[in-house]
Amino acid sequence: MLQSRIIPCLLIHNKGLVKTVKFKDAKYVGDPLNAVKIYNEKEADELIVLDIDASVEKNEPDYKLIERLALQCRMPLCYGGGIKSVEQALKIFSLGVEKIALSSAAIENPNLITQLADKVGKQSVVVVIDAKKKLLSSKYEVYMHNGKKSTGLNAVDWAKKAEDLGAGEIVINSIDNDGIMTGYDLNLIDKIREVTNIPLTVLGGAGCYEDFSNLIRKYQVLGLAAGSFFVFKGKYRAVLINYPNLEEKLSILKV
Amino acid sequence: MREYQVCTNCVMDTTDSKITFDDKGVCDHCNTYYDKILPNWHPNDKGQAELDKIVEGIKKEGKGKDFDCIIGMSGGIDSSYLLYLAVEKLGLRPLVFHVDAGWNSQIAVNNIERIVDKLKLDLYTHVINWEEMKDLQLAFFKSGVPHIDTPQDHAFFATMYDFASKHNIKHILTGGNYSTECVRNPMEWMYFQSDSIQLKDIHKKYGKKKLKEFPVTNILWHKVYLPYFKGIKVYRPLDFMPYHKEDAKKELQEKFGWQPYPQKHFESRFTKFYESYWLYERFGYDVRKVQFSSLILTNQMTREEALEELKKLPYDKENIHHEFEFIADKLEISIEELQSYLNAPLKTYKDYKSQENVYKYGAKVMRALGLEKGGKR
Amino acid sequence: MIGIINYGLGNVQAFANIYKNLNLNYQLVDNEEDILKCSKLVFPGVGHFDHAMTLFNNSGLKNVIEQKVLINKTPIIGICVGMQMLAKSSDEGVLPGLGWIDGEVKKFSTENLTHKSKLPQMGWNTIQHIGNHPIFNNISSDSRFYFLHSYYFKCTSESNVLCTTNYGVNYHSAVFKDNIYGVQFHPEKSHQNGVQLLKNFANL
Repeated sequence: MLQSRIIPCLLIHNKGLVKTVKFKDAKYVGDPLNAVKIYNEKEADELIVLDIDASVEKNEPDYKLIERLALQCRMPLCYGGGIKSVEQALKIFSLGVEKIALSSAAIENPNLITQLADKVGKQSVVVVIDAKKKLLSSKYEVYMHNGKKSTGLNAVDWAKKAEDLGAGEIVINSIDNDGIMTGYDLNLIDKIREVTNIPLTVLGGAGCYEDFSNLIRKYQVLGLAAGSFFVFKGKYRAVLINYPNLEEKLSILKV
Repeated sequence: MREYQVCTNCVMDTTDSKITFDDKGVCDHCNTYYDKILPNWHPNDKGQAELDKIVEGIKKEGKGKDFDCIIGMSGGIDSSYLLYLAVEKLGLRPLVFHVDAGWNSQIAVNNIERIVDKLKLDLYTHVINWEEMKDLQLAFFKSGVPHIDTPQDHAFFATMYDFASKHNIKHILTGGNYSTECVRNPMEWMYFQSDSIQLKDIHKKYGKKKLKEFPVTNILWHKVYLPYFKGIKVYRPLDFMPYHKEDAKKELQEKFGWQPYPQKHFESRFTKFYESYWLYERFGYDVRKVQFSSLILTNQMTREEALEELKKLPYDKENIHHEFEFIADKLEISIEELQSYLNAPLKTYKDYKSQENVYKYGAKVMRALGLEKGGKR
Repeated sequence: MIGIINYGLGNVQAFANIYKNLNLNYQLVDNEEDILKCSKLVFPGVGHFDHAMTLFNNSGLKNVIEQKVLINKTPIIGICVGMQMLAKSSDEGVLPGLGWIDGEVKKFSTENLTHKSKLPQMGWNTIQHIGNHPIFNNISSDSRFYFLHSYYFKCTSESNVLCTTNYGVNYHSAVFKDNIYGVQFHPEKSHQNGVQLLKNFANL
């Protein structure tokens, strides 16, 4: 039977790998190429790489870096950050990337989702939603530009709309739980899962294997992404790339 | 051109151009070992008693603190075994210190994780700024000298000592040992990695990026100031007991699922490339000779076994081009550029500024005071 | 020479990287001359069946590939939609397939699937061998591979089935007939198992 995917998520800032807490205080954690190489050797199910500068600084995607990273991956690679046009996306696909993630660009130009899906197929179009809980409310608001700009959009509505527009997968990223490693935002996940039918990947807050197992019990099949959890170790948050080996993975998946 | 000669006792030979032989054809590495190291090395009850005293002192001073000592961990056999020993046999509470210079192999990272998890230890990692490291490594390639792994080694010591100094940790334990390292790499092959004058000069001449975050140490700082003025002591526990490499590997494999490396120092992909290919092809220096000679002297390998192994290439001829490409790619240079460094005129540490005299003088003093035996030449 | 057919679909670079790493001779091929020199062919494919068939039919490569495969018996492996194109037809589209292996491509029924995002099947799943074939050397049953599809190949004859996978139903995830092979999963994105399969194919 189909297994849930366990996915390391890497953030790139100034050509280096960083980890944030609640989308702030980017801490340098090393060379992206070496990290990707290690995750590949650990046989990670999939990899998400997001360039967090690109849309803020309105840069072209770093094609050379993308090509070098893709060369190391014997598993599907999803790349996001600063992609605004179908041409840019096509160029990135030609470098060996399986999926393109759209975030700010999809909000500014929702038609881009449809255009891209028509061109390459839905399965390659991922919409990443950075969501933050609104004060004194049970609702979640979508943020853009690496958590800096509020959009006024309701995360649940936007997820439904993205699916209607042709997205093949949603990555729901909790800004509040980013980097804290005490668990996913289960409430947010539930709301998004409720209104969508396409594959859903969750991100933000994972801190132990039980966090994965809990969600698998509830939703059977899901994408389980984690950033800090697969990079830090212990109370001093020591940088050490880690990922469950096959035995550990099968035990997480067997619920 | 000196005539080729190989030691009759170990396998060091005239590729170490400073080697001398006695009338029995035994080299100076061996004789230094027999005369200076062996008489003062007690991997037995006497050593154990000394170690017990040291450990008691460390524990006493560390009472009430989160940890009583710091152990540098690369994921390699020596530091891995040391950690296991320190916790399970000596009852110490170490902080595990790891330096990520951007070249960690998957095996190394996995081994560190397993040991740290099983022994329930706290890990601290210092991540070197990769852009600076890359610039410095390229500078060393361009300089043409043999010791191009200096950036990694230098960073390792600098950060660990700096950390100990900042956090007032008085006791550093390292996996250095006579058992597998009584013969040292000749200075001509691997010049002192702690020589910051040499590092800075090479960087000044060939580096493009300013070294803002890269940790720089200084031989006087860590061999004089830290021990004598700040009271930071460095110990090599593996010297106080029998340390047998193959047994240690087996024990770690059984207890922790520790994965062995094909050769010493292969926990870093760069070091693997450097020692097995670059030094060998560019300079004709085969570091296996140094490593095997140590094992021969400590009866862990026979000279025949060593000579047989040395007949094979130190690297996999069929796949080395993949490694070559990876190194070039990681350093963001073309294969042709890396090739040009391989073929460039050979240089030595003497072609750049250095603190060689400080080391020479310092070593004399240390030996006279009995604080160092053998040493590098 | 392993030819990776480059007609505009699929991650051809990923196959190239794998064969390069294995030190095997490979080439991305998009013209008759180069295809004629190949001793093995890799036939990738993603996306909509009709779109893939149209691209392939218009690529100018169909004739030479048919000649190589059906007459010269050059081994060929279809990947994902490339595998589906080996069938006679697909529920996904209206165009006929190549019909090289007797079977039809059907849409997954979702009635036995309990999770929400039923289609496409996206992620890692396992294969169960039917019989023994060198293309699966060193790959045991229960080995994991990466899948991404909503339609599957249904062979008319069980004799063409190499392995099955369960997704609500047990369906044919790898098929073959003589020198023609098809795998529904993506070996170029399935780590060591995928590399092993591609290596085995090269060694046939």
